Amino acid sequence: MKRFALSLLAMLPASLLAAGQTIIIRNATVLTVTKGTFQGSVLIRDGKIVEAGEKVLVPDGARVIEAAGQYVMPGIIDCHSHIAADSINEGAVAVSSMVGIEDVINPDDPDIYRALAGGVTTANILHGSANPIGGKCQVMKMRWGKDAQGLIFEGAMPGIKFALGENPKRSGNAGGGFGGSPGLRYPATRMGVEDVIREAFNQARAYQKEWRDYQAKLDRHEQAIPPRRDLKLEPLVEVLEGKRYVHAHCYRADEILMLLRVADDYGFKIRTLQHVLEGYKVANEIAAHGAGASTFSDWWAYKAEAFDAIPYNAALLVRKGVLVSVNSDSAELMRHLNTEAAKAMKYGGLNETEALSLVTINPAKQLGIENRVGSIEPGKDADITIFDKHPLSNYAKVEKVFIDGELYFDRRKDLEERPGRELRKKALIDKQKALEKKDRKKPEATDDKKSEEPGGDR
Amino acid sequence: MKTCLAVLLTLVSLRAAGPETILLRGATVHPVSGPDIADGAVLVRDGKIAEVGAHIAVPKGARVIELKGLHIYPGMIDSATEIGLTEIEAVREMSDITDLGLFKPQLRAAAAVNPASEHIPVTRANGITSVITSPGGGIVAGQSVLMHLNGWTIEDMAVRAPAAMRMEFPHIRMPNRFGDSEAPARASAYTDAKKRYEEQLRELNDFMESARRYRQAKSAGASDFKTDLKLEAMIPVLDGKLPMLIRAEKEKTIQEAIAFADKQKIHMILERGVEAWKVAAELKAHNIPVVLPPTLRLPDEEDDPYDKPFSIPGELSKSGVKIAFASFGPGAEDNPRNLPYEAAAAVGFGLPYEEALKAVTLYPAQIWGVGDELGSIEKGKWADLIVTDGDPLETRTQIKQVYIKGTSVDLENKHHRLYEEYLAR
Amino acid sequence: MKHVTPILLAAASLALAQAPGPIALRGARIVTVSGPVLEKGTVLLRNGLIEAVGEHVDLPKDAWVVDAQGVTVYPGLIDALSTVGLPETPAQPAAPRAEAPATARFGGNEPAMPLEQGPEFRPFTTTWVRAADLLNPADKRIEETRSAGFSSVVTFPATGIFAGEGAFLNLSGEKQGRMVVVSPAGQYVTLTTHGFGTYPGSLMGVIAYIRQVSFDADHYKLELQAYASHPAGQKRPNYDRAVEGLLESPRLLLPAEDAKQLDRMIRFAAELKRPAVLYGGHEAYKIADRVAKSGVPLLVSLKWPEKPKDGDPDQEESYRTLELRDRAPSSPAALEKAGAHFAFYSGGTAAKDVRKALKRAVDAGLTEAAAVRALTLSAAEIYGVADRVGSIEPGKIANLLVVKGSLFDEKAKIESIFIDGIKYEPVPESGPPPGERAGRGAPGGVE
Repeated sequence: MKRFALSLLAMLPASLLAAGQTIIIRNATVLTVTKGTFQGSVLIRDGKIVEAGEKVLVPDGARVIEAAGQYVMPGIIDCHSHIAADSINEGAVAVSSMVGIEDVINPDDPDIYRALAGGVTTANILHGSANPIGGKCQVMKMRWGKDAQGLIFEGAMPGIKFALGENPKRSGNAGGGFGGSPGLRYPATRMGVEDVIREAFNQARAYQKEWRDYQAKLDRHEQAIPPRRDLKLEPLVEVLEGKRYVHAHCYRADEILMLLRVADDYGFKIRTLQHVLEGYKVANEIAAHGAGASTFSDWWAYKAEAFDAIPYNAALLVRKGVLVSVNSDSAELMRHLNTEAAKAMKYGGLNETEALSLVTINPAKQLGIENRVGSIEPGKDADITIFDKHPLSNYAKVEKVFIDGELYFDRRKDLEERPGRELRKKALIDKQKALEKKDRKKPEATDDKKSEEPGGDR
Repeated sequence: MKTCLAVLLTLVSLRAAGPETILLRGATVHPVSGPDIADGAVLVRDGKIAEVGAHIAVPKGARVIELKGLHIYPGMIDSATEIGLTEIEAVREMSDITDLGLFKPQLRAAAAVNPASEHIPVTRANGITSVITSPGGGIVAGQSVLMHLNGWTIEDMAVRAPAAMRMEFPHIRMPNRFGDSEAPARASAYTDAKKRYEEQLRELNDFMESARRYRQAKSAGASDFKTDLKLEAMIPVLDGKLPMLIRAEKEKTIQEAIAFADKQKIHMILERGVEAWKVAAELKAHNIPVVLPPTLRLPDEEDDPYDKPFSIPGELSKSGVKIAFASFGPGAEDNPRNLPYEAAAAVGFGLPYEEALKAVTLYPAQIWGVGDELGSIEKGKWADLIVTDGDPLETRTQIKQVYIKGTSVDLENKHHRLYEEYLAR
Repeated sequence: MKHVTPILLAAASLALAQAPGPIALRGARIVTVSGPVLEKGTVLLRNGLIEAVGEHVDLPKDAWVVDAQGVTVYPGLIDALSTVGLPETPAQPAAPRAEAPATARFGGNEPAMPLEQGPEFRPFTTTWVRAADLLNPADKRIEETRSAGFSSVVTFPATGIFAGEGAFLNLSGEKQGRMVVVSPAGQYVTLTTHGFGTYPGSLMGVIAYIRQVSFDADHYKLELQAYASHPAGQKRPNYDRAVEGLLESPRLLLPAEDAKQLDRMIRFAAELKRPAVLYGGHEAYKIADRVAKSGVPLLVSLKWPEKPKDGDPDQEESYRTLELRDRAPSSPAALEKAGAHFAFYSGGTAAKDVRKALKRAVDAGLTEAAAVRALTLSAAEIYGVADRVGSIEPGKIANLLVVKGSLFDEKAKIESIFIDGIKYEPVPESGPPPGERAGRGAPGGVE
């Protein structure tokens, strides 16, 4: 958990309160999500919520956060994001399970801070949707200022991304490849998408057997060298063994059913269906399989497969017994997941608690981290967002965000520090302008001159 | 439940009817142009607002609609959309937004709008009653249309056709490096981009000169005068009768656009002025209104404060610049039905609520030159009204009824139909 | 000495002022690097090696004595990562080459499936290519680099993900064989992607690919050992050229320009369990302690970040960019303070501009002693040849830099360079600087 020097974050405030402190957030409207709403306080110690109630005693030496008139809720969890990573898609091959977000975490991404400012404390960072079987995912906390390892949500179940529908088959169609790839990449149809997935698990089974045979040999005290490690198939074996969650990007009802059946055939569960914009058409089947659904609040008509998307999707799936979350898939939308959740009240009539669950306890459950985050309950991580108005209001602003009991975002501090940041930047700009001037004055045969000569240009 | 049934029956009977005389009463009326009227009423006759007030006598033959506990607002206006010109963004065959060429003033969005687009019922179901639909691409993109979101044909729908001549002002376009590619930018990227931009400026000036000469030749009435449709389309612009909707995002581009409009003596509306806040004084001095870029966007520069895009509408409003919100949809993240939430997002960060509401009603009406026809609940204006159970700028609010030109429009749309269908599965 | 004369005649056109027999530089200020600075001392060279160095050295009667008052003698500078000596165009094509043919699954009529995923697929990989085999002693850059004070470069092939094996060379520029001090010196690795069309097309993909190759190498060793111990009845392992190249490389050179990349690569090297050297290092000032603690050596590029020459003047630069440009030259000082093991390389800076770049690091806090060490002994240590080069000690190769003054005084001219005991004089510059030759990315350049 090494910290970078504060100079890295000179433009954005670093964490403001040390971990291990006792903090009480007082006199607010507390929306626990799972245990009702009340006027009261939340007590935090050593990064955990210790108590939440109408009458909480203030221990000596506790740092008091006055939150009268404000609204306290669990930190928002975004189940589908692509921030904080230096690459998103390995699209050249149909199965790219060997790659992983964990190798390219970018702790310097300003979108982490911006997500914090929107109340997000945890995000599931996914590989893109260019492949039927994509790369490994990473659950992260928005601990702005920490290094790559410091962002990782320790103990979260590893995940992998699948993608169905138009995106993974685009590279199989002429003129359709991402960035104009020269050759065609199988698959070009939804049939091919299924084939690629089945074939991959076929290979994974064979690989799994190789290792079991090897282990058997060892058990019999026979001489053996281990099989060649295949980094592509290892995560798939983990899926077969229930040790890695599958998050599958999908749109159309038929492809959703296809995937559920493939999973059934190979004996594993799809953990979440992502986007799942036609999920409402097969809600019963999704509920029966036990897959969660993580969807947009109301995007539609931007692709053919999104033409039947409806903003009632989330509410309808909830009514049919599916565990539903609303996600962003966008660094911008991530900043207002609270109002995106409100859309499920407008379209489909979810109540307040159901709506808030869509961005808190539900995604926590989908990611298997509900014992740690997703609601305000004693024993959970102190990941808390404070709004100045009810979070489901479009006028609400985030005031403060705690992660593990550390204050990672404070709007007031952010505002106070702006003049200072501007000055520091201006000082750098002036300094460099002065250096440039000095260099120009020097009568050296500089590179600039040379580059104007023929053959001297880059 | 009873009110719902009553409303439903009223709607069903109204769908087939022509403009009736209707009295909407019992609701809080928000005229926007004046103070709210608690327990107010609006009388609609011949598609127009005949009266607004606290007590209105029921005229003979009028249908009375009781709206106790509800609210009446003006229908909202979206000042930048492509509704009717595209159905599914990713499907080329369904898009009629951008034709070939740099100078296309003769192209009319009104000629290509599909009145049966699914986007129309979906959008008006959230209280947007009229939109600007614009063509795109090139330098002079074509003629935008201001249209109601109700009608069998474009003639039914159009409020102003054309509403403006749309232009994208030349600017330096640096090549975009997409994705993970490690390819370094070409060493002369800026120089090349600058050359292209200067060329475009020249072409623009040449084009304007040709338009002027054409206008002169036409008014001189020479016997060998031949009509040129392109240049003909520019005449109302040069006469100052048709505003030019100019898209300019960066400070320098905006300044150049203002200078251009000045020099050419044309009436300018600024579209998507991302850096308009940097030249607010100039915009105010020239009385140039601004169609705002989406409020809900990431900061435009890496070092911008996280809430910069949210606070810009408030800044501009404070400087006295007339603003209007717009969705720039339909698209994935840009949805015309979410127009009111673009406005709401600015309220928490410095834009007074009243201004936000005006910026989706009265101000766009004024900007598009229909300030005495739309944009508020005032006698004589079109009866574009929405009935809500609360503040339309809040997501949780339900839109109960929508009237366009005095006719109650069907709020049923594809989305609701599919919902009902699959709820029953 | 009889055999010296014909050699002398043969080499007459190639070297200047080559004295037969031992040479002594007397009365100079000597920066030995391995020991204290001698304010006034003598270095004695014989047969291409340093025979003696000290304040008082007994000179043999046949020693050619050069009066070296007023000069400073340093070990010959080492450019720790370069392409000097290699031909301009890559010897191997960079395009991916499948080692296994495509196998159509059901008959031959369908379009060939893209080649991928087979364990033999090794795109952008030429681990076996050795710089030592490709040397061009007539490369003009040799002379230019030498004239800037360098006696040695560590030259690597530079294209591809696994670009090939480098060689530690003396810039004597005569015969290939004579130039090589040690080969292979390491395996040059880049994280370049080649767009979406071919695997790996992303940074994630490149890292996964390198990891797979490394694991394959581990497995290959096991396979060969198992087969060798008992071939009868066993299926023989495939010959894997790429893995062989990796196995014979004593260390991997991994790119690490910014702090997060440094962090990533330190972790990656530990995961692969292979000796590694990082190169780039411009944001090392942010995590110097971590670099030091990891024990992984770092080659710092002297091509400090500059404002792009053809950028948009109206486009605001981000604070991060400005800060990097400002603070990068302070990275060596931070590394010194943290006790990290680091050396310098030119990184595309023209040889003649190296001293200016060096001065920026010194101005930003690097001590002169550490600066010299980073250009000499540290580089030798990193490449495992500190026992034979990199400082002025008896027994080491006679590579020296003679400056009329201090290396850190820009006005002080380079008087001569000794390489393998042969004296060279700097040649005045002409033509475009080598770092900016068209079409050739310098190794270890900014990603």
